[in-house]
Amino acid sequence: MKRVILPVVLLLTMATAGEQFAMSDADRAMYKEMLENNPADIYVEEGGELLEEQLGGEAALAKFLGVSEKELPKYIAGFPRYIKKLGNVVGIDQVLQAMQVEQGKEKYKLKSEKMFSMLAYVKSLANDEQIAIDINADKYIKASYDLGKKTFETARGGRGLSCLSCHSKDIVGMVLRTQPLPDLGEAGAGATWPAYRMTKSSLRTLQRRFQGCMKNALLKVIPIGSKEMVGLEVYVSTLAQDKKQPIAIPGLKR
Amino acid sequence: MQRKIKLLTFAAMLVSTSSLVNAADLTKAYEMPNASKLIEKDLLAPAKTYTMPKGCISSDATSIARGEFIFHNLNGKKAKQTPPKGLARFIEVKGKDGKVKKKPKQYGNCVACHNIEGAKGGGNIGPDLTGYKAMFIDTKVRDNQFVYQKIADPRVDNPKTHMTVNLTTKLFNEQEICDLASYVVSVKK
Ligand code: HEC
Ligand code: HEC
Repeated sequence: MKRVILPVVLLLTMATAGEQFAMSDADRAMYKEMLENNPADIYVEEGGELLEEQLGGEAALAKFLGVSEKELPKYIAGFPRYIKKLGNVVGIDQVLQAMQVEQGKEKYKLKSEKMFSMLAYVKSLANDEQIAIDINADKYIKASYDLGKKTFETARGGRGLSCLSCHSKDIVGMVLRTQPLPDLGEAGAGATWPAYRMTKSSLRTLQRRFQGCMKNALLKVIPIGSKEMVGLEVYVSTLAQDKKQPIAIPGLKR
Repeated sequence: MQRKIKLLTFAAMLVSTSSLVNAADLTKAYEMPNASKLIEKDLLAPAKTYTMPKGCISSDATSIARGEFIFHNLNGKKAKQTPPKGLARFIEVKGKDGKVKKKPKQYGNCVACHNIEGAKGGGNIGPDLTGYKAMFIDTKVRDNQFVYQKIADPRVDNPKTHMTVNLTTKLFNEQEICDLASYVVSVKK
């Protein structure tokens, strides 16, 4: 596994945030410690073993995707993407499910811990690459991006909020109950999940993180793997792509 | 020998046809649940104008206390103190199976975005509401009806507002909006 170097900017913002913010000094000390020793490393490693035992490792994955092993990291950096034999724009996790089925194995649920681990491992193969989603590659990815953007901007739920209510350019850095609002592009959200979430003491994926925001803001939580969720992942990933944030898995989050 | 080759070719054919079937099947081999209905039912209704009901904003201490509690807390499960008279921690909702379930009552969590007297960890996405009466009501910059409308549905004067919608979404009822407004315009210590 390639080691990840977390963006210095992120460290700085977390390390300099004052009293009013959600991270205490003790938390920050722990955060620094974890940077050198991300607790999620073991999940990523476990994911690598699962991929090997279950599916035949990177070689099998490359073959399934129709690329060489050498091309694999760059190709992975382009997910979610349209995979013809799956008939949809899909995430890496859905590709892994299809491989399991093709090999006559029982597929892991998208929301299972094992799938989170395997997904984290596969995405970590692309560490240090830039996200490379070409939204003009075909009409499917374009549609997925459009759906994601629309989902991001759609107000709903008990408080009438959309993702954009809290993640628009004009309020980045403002404080929502002790939490500074991140710029999802600068924060490299699309490039740093799966990540270890300190407040949840577990490995979480990007789509799982979306669900967290939905739950907190009283938007109906939509299921992982739905077209809207994949679209959101495409959209949010392109924000990190625009800011040239390199892939760095596993991330480390408050 | 012949037989063996025949068998082998037969086996090979089987394998290749079964992988053909699989290849076709792969479009259904992974989870892709449908979320569009969930979203459809959850959509926010268009902006709505409201007229404050009679006697809405009052100096009644229990109304102000409820408003204060809703303002500073997220929901009935997270609230540390016991809610004041007339405000519940939990509400009962009928599930799809017809069974009645207890759910934490959602409050306003207004403090997430607004500072105000006594706020703990107040946010700054919305304007500071400290000294609101002296600053806005007494100076006639705002009136009670404006405050009521802003809390009920803030979109009428700002379609792109970052603020939550509280009455049009039915998260609160009229009385609760009045409680909140009464608290905002009250004189605080
Ligand atoms: C009510 C405000 C609010 C809404 C609505 C909201 N978010 Fe968030 N979001 C936040 C805050 C605050 C954080 C930072 C939390 C933290 O520090 O842990 C955050 C963090 C995130 C992150 C992690 C960023 C990182 O550091 O990697 C992602 C991804 C995200 N939000 C996506 C979404 C999506 C998608 C939606 C809509 C479905 C959404 N958010 C809706 C407030 C919100
Ligand atoms: C997610 C952020 C957010 C939350 C939560 C929020 N507000 Fe606001 N509020 C705002 C913003 C931003 C404004 C500025 C006006 C606008 O953009 O609509 C505002 C404006 C107001 C005003 C008008 C101030 C003035 O005179 O101009 C009042 C009153 C108010 N909010 C009360 C509340 C109450 C009560 C609650 C809780 C039920 C609440 N707000 C929750 C963001 C928020």
